[in-house]
Amino acid sequence: MNGLLLTTQQALQLLLLGDAELWTIVLLSFSVSLKAIIFTTPLALLLAFLLNHGNIPGSRIILAFFNSLLSVPTVVVGLFLYVLLTRQGPFGDLKLLFTHSAMVIGQMILCFPVLVALGYAAIQAADKRVWETARTLGAPTWFTILTIFYEVRFGLLAAVLTGFGRIISEVGISMMVGGNIMGYTRNITTAIALETSKGDFAQGIALGIVLLALSFLLTAFLSYIQGKKRVTT
Amino acid sequence: MTAPLFTFRGIEISFGEIKILRNLELSLYPAKCILLTGKNGSGKSTLLKIMAGLEKPAKAQIEISGKSHSWKQAMRSIQKEIIYLHQQPFLFSGTVESNVAYGLRFTSLNREQRKESVKKALEWANLSALAKRQAHTLSGGVQQRVAFTRAWILEPKVLLLDEPVSNMDQESREQACLLMQRMKSAGMSIVITSHVPQYFDGLADIQYELTEGQLVQ
Repeated sequence: MNGLLLTTQQALQLLLLGDAELWTIVLLSFSVSLKAIIFTTPLALLLAFLLNHGNIPGSRIILAFFNSLLSVPTVVVGLFLYVLLTRQGPFGDLKLLFTHSAMVIGQMILCFPVLVALGYAAIQAADKRVWETARTLGAPTWFTILTIFYEVRFGLLAAVLTGFGRIISEVGISMMVGGNIMGYTRNITTAIALETSKGDFAQGIALGIVLLALSFLLTAFLSYIQGKKRVTT
Repeated sequence: MTAPLFTFRGIEISFGEIKILRNLELSLYPAKCILLTGKNGSGKSTLLKIMAGLEKPAKAQIEISGKSHSWKQAMRSIQKEIIYLHQQPFLFSGTVESNVAYGLRFTSLNREQRKESVKKALEWANLSALAKRQAHTLSGGVQQRVAFTRAWILEPKVLLLDEPVSNMDQESREQACLLMQRMKSAGMSIVITSHVPQYFDGLADIQYELTEGQLVQ
């Protein structure tokens, strides 16, 4: 018990004293995951919209496919991407394996189904009159879509935050296609795995605290906006 | 009677096996109000939505200035002239002012002109004092007035009002009818659906009953 307390104390010291190595890892994690969520969101939400309003043949099957991908193990995505990006793979010439970009692509693949499935649910909950009102008032299609997105913004934001939570905490993809290279592809989760295997628990716990704090913040923010939605409706 | 603005001919639509509208014809005239009555599910709202371009009919022709066009072709040019209002209007998140200004974004007016237009429209509907209020916090009657104003500001040729005064108290109903009368006087063609024709005694010029997919005068 004393050992755990001592290690946690060391972890807090590392965090509060601004340990350069630790904060490089934290910043890299956020950089990769933020890029992934920013690149994925517009496309995923547009697809979610089309599945709702686009009269796409087989839209239910497509949605069921994305729903089934919600719980796909991250190592499976990592393995799939590794096979594609490895030197002998179809995209080997791009030399993306063990790069920041490979991690971003992997996380994009991971959060895409989350955004489509939850985005679909949010858009489906939109009042049908939004579309009709916007159209009858002369809004072009693209502006009508933006109007619907605005009306269901709390649900869409919840989808984006859930997607971000999924990718910032994943380890399988980052480990397999990132390679855990210090200062280049080492992020919070791969660093925790490495430090734990080395027996250096202090840095692992410090990074774990960052992840837990982030998780708490995301949950608190989600509760706040859901509460806000209840007040405004 | 002056020449009609638009004449809708041969409107047909079915939901599954059931034919809702059968070869229906309706002409709209400027500064005239048509009242449509009919049972629940008779197709009144569907007819209005077809006329507004919001629902696709199985068949329909639209005559404009004596020339006949397919529904799809005609809607490209006349959809902006026709505004449909729901029984319970949908107001977007935001203030009364932002709701009234919504459709002006798609006109050629600049920012200053839009602001001026909104100000005049709010005065017209006696809503100036509520300009900064969140639209969702208003009562049903006031929301309906906001929806009227949001439509009026765009100066459409045709207004299609689906049960505009249902569930309103007498005061709100009178205010709504007054606004409808002013829109009609301004030259707009108005089509109203209602279960209670008496509410529109001084306003409606022609009354039809929609029964078995056809209009009966």
